Amino acid sequence: MLQLLINGLAMGAIYALVALGIVVIANAVNVVNFAQGENLMLGAFVAATLTLTFKLPILAAYVISVIVLAFYGYVFQRLAYYPLRQKPFITIIISTIGVSMFLKNIARIIWGAQPLYFSGLFGEKSIMIGRFAVNPQHLLILGITGVLFLFQHYFFNRTYLGRKMQATAQDQEAAALMGIKVSRMIAFTFIYSSMLAALAGVLLAPVFYVSADMGGMLGLKAFAASIIGGFGSVPGAILGGLFLGIVEILCAAYVSSLYKDAFAFIVLILVLALLPRGLFGEKISTKV
Amino acid sequence: MKNRLLQKLAWALLLGVLLVLPHLLPNNYYRGVVNLSLIYAIVAMGLNFIYGYTGYISFAQAGFFGVGAYTSALLVVDAHWGFWSALPIAGLAAAACGVAIGIPALKLSSHYLAMATIGFGIIIQMVMQNWERLTHGASGVHDIPSITIGTYNVDSAVGQYYFLLGFLALAMFVTWAIDNSKLGRSFKAVREDEIAASSAGIDLTFTKVFSFALSAFFGGVGGSLYAHTSSYISPDTFSFDQSIVLFTMVLVGGAGTVCGPVIGAIGLTLAPELLRFLKEYYMALVGVGIVLIMIYMPQGVVHLFSQDGRVGRWLQSVKQRSTR
Amino acid sequence: MAEETYAARHGSVQVNSDGGDGPPLLQLDNVSMIFGGLRAVDRLTLEVCTGKIHALIGPNGAGKTTVLNIISGFYKPTEGLVRFNGQTIQGFDSAKIAGMGMARTFQNVRLFKELTALENVQIGMHRIIKEGLAETVFRTPAFRRAELRSAEKAKELLAEIGLQDKATVKARNLSYGQQKLIEIARALAQDPKQILLDEPAAGLNETETTDLVHLVRIVRDRGITILLIEHNMNFVMSLADRITVLNFGRKIADGAPGEIVSNEEVIQAYLGRRPSLRST
Repeated sequence: MLQLLINGLAMGAIYALVALGIVVIANAVNVVNFAQGENLMLGAFVAATLTLTFKLPILAAYVISVIVLAFYGYVFQRLAYYPLRQKPFITIIISTIGVSMFLKNIARIIWGAQPLYFSGLFGEKSIMIGRFAVNPQHLLILGITGVLFLFQHYFFNRTYLGRKMQATAQDQEAAALMGIKVSRMIAFTFIYSSMLAALAGVLLAPVFYVSADMGGMLGLKAFAASIIGGFGSVPGAILGGLFLGIVEILCAAYVSSLYKDAFAFIVLILVLALLPRGLFGEKISTKV
Repeated sequence: MKNRLLQKLAWALLLGVLLVLPHLLPNNYYRGVVNLSLIYAIVAMGLNFIYGYTGYISFAQAGFFGVGAYTSALLVVDAHWGFWSALPIAGLAAAACGVAIGIPALKLSSHYLAMATIGFGIIIQMVMQNWERLTHGASGVHDIPSITIGTYNVDSAVGQYYFLLGFLALAMFVTWAIDNSKLGRSFKAVREDEIAASSAGIDLTFTKVFSFALSAFFGGVGGSLYAHTSSYISPDTFSFDQSIVLFTMVLVGGAGTVCGPVIGAIGLTLAPELLRFLKEYYMALVGVGIVLIMIYMPQGVVHLFSQDGRVGRWLQSVKQRSTR
Repeated sequence: MAEETYAARHGSVQVNSDGGDGPPLLQLDNVSMIFGGLRAVDRLTLEVCTGKIHALIGPNGAGKTTVLNIISGFYKPTEGLVRFNGQTIQGFDSAKIAGMGMARTFQNVRLFKELTALENVQIGMHRIIKEGLAETVFRTPAFRRAELRSAEKAKELLAEIGLQDKATVKARNLSYGQQKLIEIARALAQDPKQILLDEPAAGLNETETTDLVHLVRIVRDRGITILLIEHNMNFVMSLADRITVLNFGRKIADGAPGEIVSNEEVIQAYLGRRPSLRST
């Protein structure tokens, strides 16, 4: 049972990381980035390539991958988001879907259709906690994401840059009037988001194989998690992700492992049917 | 005078080409592609109701497509029904699913709705893959018999083409009929301004759920046609990716118009064939293409040619210059 | 403008002179609307008599639009009863209330932007014209007659507001003043017993406002009861049979225009220190 919980929490932490990336962008520019799962995939591939082909030490690979994705994040927002920033919401969503298609297939061309495997920092051994065998990578995931969430809370609430980014997210016009360079804040938001995805990718890679398809379903589930938690809410994204990770693993173990992927969405629809704005949802009222 | 004549000639030419198209194509492979595009056109027209006319995002259309295909295939193959009885049931089964997602969706909008419909579609696909006793699981349903009209068997690519063309024409007529009616206006009113629509007496619940059901019905009918012209179906076809393709067809062709989804479907089904030489780069380019289309013609092809669109206005200026 | 068209087609109209108040068509009984800790509407009791023009005035934030939203079914009041045409309607869905004979316009004009002026008005007839699914798909004669009738009636209404030339123009291409008129035409298309007008004169110039006064009178003369919110005091004074004044969600005065103008509390709360308003 402990094993399951740790598994679930770890997977949940990954969902939370990806969901966080989605929510940060959505808050800033009211756009859902459907390519976020592919960002994770890219991060994993870059790290894998650095480790396997270039034989770099794993930690270095992790760090470089995150940095590479940071650059990518900037490029992505310049090419795909910027020309569309005035367009209706659905147009932007579709174009991020286009980007995700592009990335998935380019990845397939570059790295081939065969899944890659690269071991994380701990190799394949499990460690023992009491009576249970636990995959140390899971613990690493929990540890790192925990630290990250603390860091993020500090960054966004205590640092000047973080608060500028929050201001931009809440009201672009007002922020601009205060002298904040909105386009730069937006760029930072995208960069941060893709770094989160890269981190999720490198943490996850040792648990599963790295393949061009790894991002798709994961991205969708992370999106579902952010909605369950209440779209637009940062704690919502984190809690939603963790919740989803645990529910998924428990359902797969006790109900049916065949329908594992479906549980995330069943939970989603149930939550939405009861709480149309998720657990901590944004309260939007339309002026009549 | 001359213009009218030219227009009529153009239409006559189009009609002529449509009538002899299968004979103009070199082999059954290409005929199959054309037939597939006709089926997707019908399914895309379904999506057009909930998205184009009522303004609600739905990424579940492939799911409805699949429900129709499976219902029809299983009724005929396992329960030994005839096609003509299975077809309406397939449509209704899909419509029931449309209601099933339509009701919880009532309170949702934009990203919540998008995600809920994605989730619903994925759940449907998982059921297709895993409920083996009912659906034959991942191996799919084989040897689905073709459609029979009386004693005539619609099993050749040419025969199927005319049959599907007829159905497409019917679907277009129904869409046109709804577009120009109180029902169509009520869909559009909900899309434009729900609150004003409600204050004018439009029942939002009924309109939205009915719109979902109608969309799903078209999807289901398309699915049945697909099953009986392809003779084999499997869960892989009815994926979220397929829902995206369908959605893109509506968007690229022109949402909220009668011809838009048809143009989009035909274009996006034929394009991979025409671009076959690009091989594995094809899908990547589709992705880029989608982004470019969203940037340069987000309202679709039909809008480009309408009075406000770039091509339409250019055509008007050409016409004005030529009449001077 | 509108008056000439109407008079030209129907002959002169007998104006409903004040021969005593008709029975109340709309009643609010101790209605309160509490949002969180805020009492947007505080125990409001109000009666609108049949066939009269009743104005609801008060400073911004007094709760006037909230009252309209409660009456038209967009909010369910926290306390109190709303009675319309003898029936208790608080908590009813807005479409249902519309079907009972209540129409309204909105403070920020809510038209169907991509639809034509004609179609916008036609939508008002949603509950009146019957077209079933089968009839629509098979284009039966019954369907065609219904469509023809709705188009005819919509054109008539457009003519009454002087916009018959704009029938095929998309609503988003019309001017603000024209859009406001179309909203009223749409409300009239519902063949309502009562119309709620939310700041109908806002943003209109002098000429447009005068035309609007004519139009509202014509609507009243057809037997439609009117409840309107307005800030333009000239407009209110020239039309209202009765005025209710709200401040901070509470009713502070209720009576004939002459009484309201000289009411101390009203003057203090709303009209400012110079009580220079005379009814036109």
